[in-house]
Amino acid sequence: MLSFISFWRAAAIVLCDLASTAYYIGGIVEQAVGPAAPWFILGVMLFSYAIRAVYMESCSMFVRGGVYKVVKEAMGGKLAKLSAAALMFDYILTGPISTVSAGQYLSGLLNNLFPYLRIGWHLDPHSFAVFFAVAATMYFWWENIKGIHESSDKALKIMQMTTVMGAVMIIWCGYTVWVRGGVLPPFSLTFSEEGLGWAARVSWLKPIGAVGIIMAFGHSLLAMSGEESLAQVYREVEAPKIKNLERAGLVIFIYSMLLTSAVSFFAVMIIPDSVRISQYGDNLLSGLAMSVVGPHWMRLLLQCFVVGVGVLILAGAANTSIVGANGVLNRLAEDGILVDWFRGLHRKYGTTHRLINLIVGLQIATILLCRGDVYLLGEAYAFGVVWSFVFKTMAVMMLRFKKREPREFMVPGNIRVNGVEWPIGLAAVFLILFVTASMNLLTKRVATISGSVFTAVFFGLFVFSERWNEKQHAGGHSPHEKFNLRQADDLKMVREEIDKPHRVLVALRDPNNLYHLTKVLETLDDDTTDLVVFTSRIRSGLGLVDEAVTMDHEEQKLFTRVLELAEKSGKTVTPLLVVSNEPFYAITQAAQAVGATEVVFGVSAKLSTDAQLERLAMTWGSLQTDKQPVRFRILGPGTEHAVDL
Amino acid sequence: MSWFQKKSPEPAAEGPKTTPPARAAKGLKVSTILAEDTILFPSEGQEKSAVLQTLAAAVCGKAGIADWASFLAKVQEREQGISTTLDTGLSLPHARMDGIATILAGMAILKKPIPDPKQTDLTIRVMFLFFSPNKQEAFPLHLQLLRGVSSLFQAALIDQLTASSGPAAALELVKKLEA
Repeated sequence: MLSFISFWRAAAIVLCDLASTAYYIGGIVEQAVGPAAPWFILGVMLFSYAIRAVYMESCSMFVRGGVYKVVKEAMGGKLAKLSAAALMFDYILTGPISTVSAGQYLSGLLNNLFPYLRIGWHLDPHSFAVFFAVAATMYFWWENIKGIHESSDKALKIMQMTTVMGAVMIIWCGYTVWVRGGVLPPFSLTFSEEGLGWAARVSWLKPIGAVGIIMAFGHSLLAMSGEESLAQVYREVEAPKIKNLERAGLVIFIYSMLLTSAVSFFAVMIIPDSVRISQYGDNLLSGLAMSVVGPHWMRLLLQCFVVGVGVLILAGAANTSIVGANGVLNRLAEDGILVDWFRGLHRKYGTTHRLINLIVGLQIATILLCRGDVYLLGEAYAFGVVWSFVFKTMAVMMLRFKKREPREFMVPGNIRVNGVEWPIGLAAVFLILFVTASMNLLTKRVATISGSVFTAVFFGLFVFSERWNEKQHAGGHSPHEKFNLRQADDLKMVREEIDKPHRVLVALRDPNNLYHLTKVLETLDDDTTDLVVFTSRIRSGLGLVDEAVTMDHEEQKLFTRVLELAEKSGKTVTPLLVVSNEPFYAITQAAQAVGATEVVFGVSAKLSTDAQLERLAMTWGSLQTDKQPVRFRILGPGTEHAVDL
Repeated sequence: MSWFQKKSPEPAAEGPKTTPPARAAKGLKVSTILAEDTILFPSEGQEKSAVLQTLAAAVCGKAGIADWASFLAKVQEREQGISTTLDTGLSLPHARMDGIATILAGMAILKKPIPDPKQTDLTIRVMFLFFSPNKQEAFPLHLQLLRGVSSLFQAALIDQLTASSGPAAALELVKKLEA
């Protein structure tokens, strides 16, 4: 069954990545640019609304509208592979930075609690962070092997708890500022040596004025890492897709604005300067919890709560990074960039387990290499985030001219001059990103070196893999979507999975004749109606059929198209392949077995609609065991026949 | 993925025969469009085309249609298309005709099954021929009759019909099942 998720679930998955940055962004940015960090984090969070709009426009054009797909459409395969490689760097680091940060928070809390519990231990924060990060990554590896629906359940629960934590923190911190009084963070920038990077050696590049703002903005940009996940989960979002994406985007924006920006401001306003970075640089929210007004035991309890939720959301970010990276690699594999072996489905869960294994393997290697240093990871992290956004925005902008058909959503700020629409809003977003990314090349040495090496290696891997794949498939079929087939002697299994009041069976044969499925998907009420998409493999003779459970090329092509249409509409579809010796018998048997109240056909090239209906009526009568009424529909361009029997 | 086979009808069980519940066409009883003189018991050894010809002549004759050959030609043309024989042993030739206002029907009961020339794995035990008005508004009724007849003429009824003594007894069996 192809099923879809609500916008709340989609928002929760993305937020696990995006909102979790609240736990480490303040510390990382302040170490680079000084106490003015919250202003820039706020700026980045506001800017993320524009990035959300870019993603919405790309998703309105392509259901699988991640960076790779959009850049490829606009600028060709090479740049698409390059942008996908940069994005992979982002995803590979998202997991480690989140889980290592969670480990840092947890070790800080445990070290605070041990004396109260009369335990004479002291955990080394870095070693413990590595241990915890590996364990959390392994846990979410297993969740993803089981499938996204499983993991979106977890993400939703994590975000519910984070909401409670965020509300408690904002109220408590607000009360603290009201009681003690507070001063907003200064706007003046004080870059560290590491924060200036190679720019310190460029005599004419002074970190003041606009240049300083761009440098600081670049250091803060990783606060919106996770927006790409919006595109990756879009294919899973239920109908109405763009509307639900808009809702998810709004939830994400409000949430990250409130949580990430607010706690960054409160951290500078409440935690004393003397301990803010030295003691709490890697676990700023713990520092905030321990610095609010109230008795020590209450603050300790608050820290427990903050850390508990932090561990969950940060570990959840590892999940999102696996989901996102898996999505990107799947698009590459579908496009023939990755060798087919990677697309093999897990026997039981139907997930692309080899890709998940690769992603998790790289994340664990990163965790071990960074030795628990969150700042190091944060420094490297921004490379993939900003360059994937640059490529994406440039591609969406170019598609305005290349692909002029109307979109369901467009980035605002368009001016029409002499019949040509100029995307001023998109151009502004691109300009900000490009200038920031270029500046980051100078100021973020770790990011530039590690990001360039990783991107080059992955780009090389994609190029090599694509060539190898081309040789393998020379003269053969292009790769299609992979499907997990479950075998059954009857349809009891399918019947058990569908439980809505109405059931529609759509019979398919030709991958190029899916007009009727498209029309049914357009009007189907997903809440009340199950849609079974049916095709039959016809074999002659009456002997026992002994078919291997594999799809042939045409069936794969057919179901790949079904999957595309289902994803585009966001409506649940149950695909069914039946082996039979008579097509009408197979359709009737399947429709009656699933309790279909409507059976829909396309217009046949071989049979008249009357002949189709006549044969179906005969077969239906000869097999019917109840008096359940049924509607037969034949749909084609300019043709619609419906008969109630 | 699942497997469905269209199977040959199983031989009738010995002893008392059970009759499936009647499922006639909506608002139309099959027994009301049949008459004793349109229920035939053709002699053995005839091919499907010969049985069809005899039955078409009888059905048209009962309705006072002299040009029964054009009716036969239309149904033969339809028979060239997708099969009208079901694996229950029912052959259901039909055609939509201009110039008639009601459904005309007849039935041939074959004591000895004959092979279907189009589908050699199937045999015909009962042939139910009908003509319906060639009007758009009559098409749903045409389809309902196809569904109703194929639903009614299951293996058990066909066994009883082939064992029946003559047209009156056969008609009585159909009436009884539809009652």
